[in-house]
Amino acid sequence: MKYMLIIYGNRELWESFSPEVTREAIAAQDAFNKEYMATGELLGAYGLADVVQAKTVAVRDGLPAVTDGPYLETKEFLSSFCLVDVDSEQRALELAAKMPFASVRCVEVWPVLHEAGAEM
Amino acid sequence: VTDDASLEDLLRTLAPQVLGALVRRWGQFGACEDAVQEALLAAAMQWPKEGQPDSPARWLIAVATRRLTDQMRSEAARRRREDMFAATPDANLVAPAADEARAGAHDDTLTLLFLCCHPALSAPSQIALTLRAVGGLTTAEIAHAFMVPEATMAKRVSRAKQLIRDSGGQFTMPPPAERDERLRAVLQVLYLIFNEGYTAAAGAELARSDLSSEAIRLTRLLHRLLPGDGEVTGLLALMLLTEARLAARARPDGSLIPLADQDRSLWNRELIEEGVGLVTGALASTRLGPYQIQAAIAAVHDEAERVEDTDWPQILALFQLLETISPSPMVTLSRAVAVAMVHGPAAGLDLIGQLEADERLARHHRLHAVRAHFLELAGDRDGAKVAYRTAASYATNIPERRYLEARAAERG
Repeated sequence: MKYMLIIYGNRELWESFSPEVTREAIAAQDAFNKEYMATGELLGAYGLADVVQAKTVAVRDGLPAVTDGPYLETKEFLSSFCLVDVDSEQRALELAAKMPFASVRCVEVWPVLHEAGAEM
Repeated sequence: VTDDASLEDLLRTLAPQVLGALVRRWGQFGACEDAVQEALLAAAMQWPKEGQPDSPARWLIAVATRRLTDQMRSEAARRRREDMFAATPDANLVAPAADEARAGAHDDTLTLLFLCCHPALSAPSQIALTLRAVGGLTTAEIAHAFMVPEATMAKRVSRAKQLIRDSGGQFTMPPPAERDERLRAVLQVLYLIFNEGYTAAAGAELARSDLSSEAIRLTRLLHRLLPGDGEVTGLLALMLLTEARLAARARPDGSLIPLADQDRSLWNRELIEEGVGLVTGALASTRLGPYQIQAAIAAVHDEAERVEDTDWPQILALFQLLETISPSPMVTLSRAVAVAMVHGPAAGLDLIGQLEADERLARHHRLHAVRAHFLELAGDRDGAKVAYRTAASYATNIPERRYLEARAAERG
């Protein structure tokens, strides 16, 4: 089963981190990535650029309209995500708990739809 | 060699025999496995151009041994450079005798299966290693079939080998006391591979549906090695009786057709006959087990000419038996379906009501799908609609989710 592990944040939170704390956080996340890439469970991990770089595309009457900013109008915004492929939901939750950010705020866990699975 | 398919079949049949011969001689399962993969690749490139050697097995063993000894030499040289250790003794660098592939080739395959399904490994690693070492598939093929990056699958394979080494896994048969449990793990891995392929067969994912053929091929192999084991026979029968319905289980657009609505003329009679024969023989002569009972249930469905001919009382009795020897909430849920067919939807709903207290099932789409079906049979359209919607929201399998959404919409 594949799961998406998602981290959200907000400007206030990111700005509250000292450069040193940020460096440590990145190193901790890198260590996580390395460890679970090696087990064959982590398929990919991606950090996203600052929210000022997000753009939203909508096609209306056949014409794309591009607006600045993310789709969701909230204080919190998407910050990074990982894709894991694991035995069970329980294992996905374990990995989420091992993500360093889970000890700072929280990590969201979503199952990814798939083509195969138990028969009807 | 006349065509690619027969060459591939030959190579994949020889793969576990060649690997067995190497590991038996050299130990070092991980290094031997890499060497065999390289030899298989070399054969796939060279034989079509240069012709197939007189003894393909001997050729593969010789090439794999050369790769292995090259690697041992370079490692020995590295060790000499690093800490002045003695090089590998010459005796260890001599190719095995030409006839060695034959001796014990079958036992070797069985030993390999046990090793690949070692309890220290997670299920995805057991699957990856089994498909590579016993099935002779390449890492790229396995990665494609499971829709993960090739690098990820390569990590799983190398980590699996590492874990086997670390946990002292040996290329020997497990002691008799552990053998039953280890065999159960092998059967489970083969069944997982089968299901991964079978449930994906609806779409255009041909590489994935090949997994069910591969699982059947490996289970046939295991059945030849252990013809007296009822559960091996049961699993093979279950796979054949399920595979028999493959052509009828989905529409061309990939949408699912439930058993009751399938065009039974599309079912594969040959597979059904073989599966029924196997499970009947096993039930009559070996110790009863869950795969045999599941195969027997599949056989009862497959033998009904029309859906209304289905012998539900017999299916109910089989599920009661299955629940006794191998209880699980999923088995109880399946029994509920048989209960509803024999005693009516109210009885089925009663049983499901008890299951809803089980946390594992309360959030499982199948419980809600079954409840929706019972509500429908009981004439409660609105209730059925809500339950189908709930079921769809808990489904993670795309064809199943679409099917459940469609059922909900039809009840609007």
